[in-house]
Amino acid sequence: MQGITKNDLIIRIGGEGGEGVISVGDFITQACARDGLDVYTFKTFPAEIKGGYAMYQVRAGTERLYNQGDTFDVLCAFNGEAYNMNRASLKPGIAFVYDSPSDFTPDIPPGVFAYPIPMTQTAKEMNNLRAKNMVAMGAMSVLFNIPEAALREVIATKFARRGEDVVKGNLTAFERGRELAAALGKTDPWTLGTPKGKQDVIVMSGNNAIGLGAMIAGLDFFAAYPITPATEVAIYVAKHLPKRGGTLIQAEDEIAAISQVLGASYAGKKSMTSTSGPGLSLMSEMLGMAFMSELPCVVVDVQRGGPSTGLPTKHEQSDLFLAVHGAHGDSGRIVLSVESIEDCINLTVVAFNLAEKYQCPVLLLSDGSLAFSTQNVPYPNPDNYKLVERKRWDGKGEYHRYALTEDGISPMADPGTPGGAHIATGLEHNEIGLPSYASANHEAMQAKRFNKLKNVVNDVEPTEVDGDGAADLGVIAWGSTIGVVREALQRLRAEGYKVKGFYPKLLNPLPTQQFEDFGASCKRLLLPEVNFQGQLAHFVRAETSLRPESYTICGGMPFTPEMIVNKVKEILA
Amino acid sequence: MNAVLQPQTHLHQVELKPKDYKTDAPSFWCAGCGHYGVLTGLLRALSEIGIDPNHLVSVSGIGCSSRLPYFVNSYKMHTLHGRAGPVATGVHLARPDLAVVITGGDGDGFSIGGGHMPHLARKNLNMTYILMDNHVYGLTKGQCSPTSRPEMKTTTTPYGGVEEPLDPIMYMLTYGATYVAQAFAGNVKLASQLIKEGMEHKGFAFINLLSQCPSFNEIDTAQAFKAACEEVPEGHDTSDLSAAMNAVNTAKRAGRIPSGLLYKTERPTLDQNMAELVKRVGGHKDYDLRKIIDLARP
Repeated sequence: MQGITKNDLIIRIGGEGGEGVISVGDFITQACARDGLDVYTFKTFPAEIKGGYAMYQVRAGTERLYNQGDTFDVLCAFNGEAYNMNRASLKPGIAFVYDSPSDFTPDIPPGVFAYPIPMTQTAKEMNNLRAKNMVAMGAMSVLFNIPEAALREVIATKFARRGEDVVKGNLTAFERGRELAAALGKTDPWTLGTPKGKQDVIVMSGNNAIGLGAMIAGLDFFAAYPITPATEVAIYVAKHLPKRGGTLIQAEDEIAAISQVLGASYAGKKSMTSTSGPGLSLMSEMLGMAFMSELPCVVVDVQRGGPSTGLPTKHEQSDLFLAVHGAHGDSGRIVLSVESIEDCINLTVVAFNLAEKYQCPVLLLSDGSLAFSTQNVPYPNPDNYKLVERKRWDGKGEYHRYALTEDGISPMADPGTPGGAHIATGLEHNEIGLPSYASANHEAMQAKRFNKLKNVVNDVEPTEVDGDGAADLGVIAWGSTIGVVREALQRLRAEGYKVKGFYPKLLNPLPTQQFEDFGASCKRLLLPEVNFQGQLAHFVRAETSLRPESYTICGGMPFTPEMIVNKVKEILA
Repeated sequence: MNAVLQPQTHLHQVELKPKDYKTDAPSFWCAGCGHYGVLTGLLRALSEIGIDPNHLVSVSGIGCSSRLPYFVNSYKMHTLHGRAGPVATGVHLARPDLAVVITGGDGDGFSIGGGHMPHLARKNLNMTYILMDNHVYGLTKGQCSPTSRPEMKTTTTPYGGVEEPLDPIMYMLTYGATYVAQAFAGNVKLASQLIKEGMEHKGFAFINLLSQCPSFNEIDTAQAFKAACEEVPEGHDTSDLSAAMNAVNTAKRAGRIPSGLLYKTERPTLDQNMAELVKRVGGHKDYDLRKIIDLARP
């Protein structure tokens, strides 16, 4: 096989929902990960329940992958719609695999390498129309050097449940696809690099990874209301939490979900809910109560496009204002945000630890891009995680639930503890929990609740600084934008630019000193984020002396590395 | 779901007098408020049941009635307006071994919290809900509530009401509560008996206690409630849902309020069904997480 090896290859598969687009994407992902390649996938489901355009993009490579890339190198179109949707992106150099004959006859732009493959026709000839996708996958495996043995293994494993005949039928279609592509001969230059060989990894989506992280953290109680794009967190937990003896309840609405979580937390259990923006809006009153009555809880917000019902299936990082300040009165909480699938596991554990330690709500922000993206992650050994339990009353002396202590943390008592009876209330209260509206008391209690959060920064890994020394430009990024910036900075450095990155995961309370230190090493600062108002930039300007230049987009898609590269060049020109 | 019905585990643990269940929190309600009757009835029921105060969680929302937990010697949560039900659900499902009692008003339960009511009942959560129904918003000083009669003028209905009141009892019968009872709060004997039975009942018990508001409801006075309440007739079949609904309708047509136990049935509670589910999947606290993580290997 001729061709040049790319460090990574981006393959986009498009077709009608139900045609097996998602399966092909999954199979390629699994096979690559099995052989030790890095994978980063991205998919869009049709908004319709049946039919509609489905797209799955796999980026696979020999180096660490941090994002879904700029655009695809390979397009595989199962039907005319997939071709039409991506027609504008068919740039010279792209390999285009498509069904032919089919309902469409594409114009092949100059410089595009075309591979017409009779996917439907071949599947029909085999009396196995459903195996159309396997014909396509076979063809691509030959053309782009996708690990073929691993693909065969994955086909055998995934179809095993449906019987030997189904496995055989799909394998035959796969082989047929390989023959068809081999007969066409390769004309494009792209082939996948040689895999490292088997690695101890798992492959998960962001939503599933959050569910897993919660279980590693010792989740006992989970309540949620279905909402795009967060529902899969609940689906994962519903499947696995009962195995650990935990309780999951589908609430009648998001207000009920957070209420149930606080009830379970009061009862002494590690509790959590997951939602998206609209649900978080509904929860804000109860989050104020969680802060007031000092009840630990973890709330996951898988952000989507807003405001209001907004763009439910699209990507945005626009709930930061709500996450930090969404509740009436002076109300505090801890806000974390995840960059990657690995973070979805590890920072969920951190979220539980912080909630337990500081007895307050902890919000974990994910986003629509991470929700369904999958990545390979080193196998998370549950024994390697340090878990924190809330401080509990030792039973000595008289119990004061809201005792004013030096660090602001007052021991809790689980119901059933003799002598520990107390009230959790949303009213301002004194040390034993009785209502008190006295000025001095309210001031002392607000100080207690806020001051304890000053130590949070010491319990979270210091913010990662990407790059050394002085820089002409520093890029501050949060959420899944971090992964995009990492790659952009690698490319810029390769071209000789002096650039650095700063990747905060703790967004409230903001680690202001770390921001200052970073800012001091950069001549200028850029802060790209996927929202209209520049929400993190706003907080940085408000809470530090830094004045980052805001770079915002809100088109429903994440940044690409290329966009960041171009912006940085423009600024430094 | 065919969980085996289990007996209540939190009953008859201690011997305490009603006053032992009372805290010394300063009084909150107006003189002549019907809520004192509810509190007395509850304390008496707790004593008769012999529940350990450490194993009782008293949960409320917002309103005059929602202050009740402050006066009960127990673990307690004074939550947000309308949210006592779901908060109590969380407490109960997290610790099914505890007794959970919700107290709250008609506005708290059936206006702002109305969306939660069907789910408490249909899930058959093993807890007790005492509605302290005074047909008015008291804490905000006299606005109409979802149970206000149109004959009453309130600060927001100065020319009289323009809406039909709802009947909490009919809703609860429809929603699937497994114990439904009603009484005048001033009839402490009946009220405490119904609360006791409700707490002993394995499942969702709903008790509507009609409680006068001497400050903001001039028409539903103690005398009026007392006169209107009529015990369900001898021989009323409490296991028959239609009979319960008929009894309510018949009494209503005659301008009466049916009181006593209206309906009682048994079916598995949510916590039992959940425990059964955990058993079915072979779940336990020490289940090896690696078995779950391994499923994500490529």
